[in-house]
Amino acid sequence: MELLADLVERCQHRLVRYLLYLTGRREYAEDLAQETWIRVLQRGSQYNGRQRFDPWLFAIARNLAIDYLRRKRKAVATVSLPNDRDAMLLLPSSDPSPFEAAARSEDAMRLAGRLQILPPLYREALLLRFQEDLSLAEMAQVLGAPTTTVTSRIYRGLAALRSAFEEGDSHGG
Amino acid sequence: MEGDKRFRELIDRSFVEEVSEGERQLIHDHIRDCDGCKRYLELTARTIRGLREFTFTSEPDSNAQVRQILAHHTQTTRQHNVQVKVWAAFAVALLMSFVGTALVYQVAKLLAVPIHFNTAQVQAGVLVFWLLPSLCAALRLLAAPGENRGIA
Repeated sequence: MELLADLVERCQHRLVRYLLYLTGRREYAEDLAQETWIRVLQRGSQYNGRQRFDPWLFAIARNLAIDYLRRKRKAVATVSLPNDRDAMLLLPSSDPSPFEAAARSEDAMRLAGRLQILPPLYREALLLRFQEDLSLAEMAQVLGAPTTTVTSRIYRGLAALRSAFEEGDSHGG
Repeated sequence: MEGDKRFRELIDRSFVEEVSEGERQLIHDHIRDCDGCKRYLELTARTIRGLREFTFTSEPDSNAQVRQILAHHTQTTRQHNVQVKVWAAFAVALLMSFVGTALVYQVAKLLAVPIHFNTAQVQAGVLVFWLLPSLCAALRLLAAPGENRGIA
């Protein structure tokens, strides 16, 4: 229990941030983070200590988030991509952006609007690579996808965000 | 144009994956003469820098809340496990009471013949001196004190 408390101390903030990128909504992220820790408590014995803890934690959180979003948006999902588990993450959130609240620079502010409408699949890939600094192999473990898919998501995400600057700069002068 | 596309893919790769020193030099040499690719590289770097400039604040008591939930969950699970064990023990004790009673009844019937006890007397004896005490012993498991109690 003490070990788990240490892990909560170390990872809770990053877990909520990851879930925020995934769901686009603060209240979902907080709830899912709590559920994730309960799952960690129940399945702690399945963790093989040879690998880093964070990817394992994120993988649990991701599965819970997908199930949660599936329950929330079942009707929409069956219309879009019925057989793909990741389909839930292609649905952008339409709620007020938590990204704007987190932007700490003018550039980040510019990106915030794009992040909100970016499909969560790409958002999470960008977060895991550039904020969590996970390796591509670790990302593949979290996303349950081959590294080629992982890199392709990162490139597409980057392209979408880069255009925020391209358009902004061309409008600006 | 096709060459630019190749270089831009290489630029993307240099931010995401490991690229060789030779490839890095190739990019460096190319952007000296190509403004389009130079701008592409700058925008990509700026995008990644921008992404790192997001700071999400947590609820102040978020960690404490999670720890509290986990402690409660652990406690509940432990109680549930104890209850399951107690009910299992009760079921076994109950089964043994009835099986034991059947055996004792058979033996008592044999022993009752020389001393001229009739069937009703044997049944009453087994009931009072065997079945009821063993049922009470089984029921005591459910009424154990504290968290070992089977009846929550």
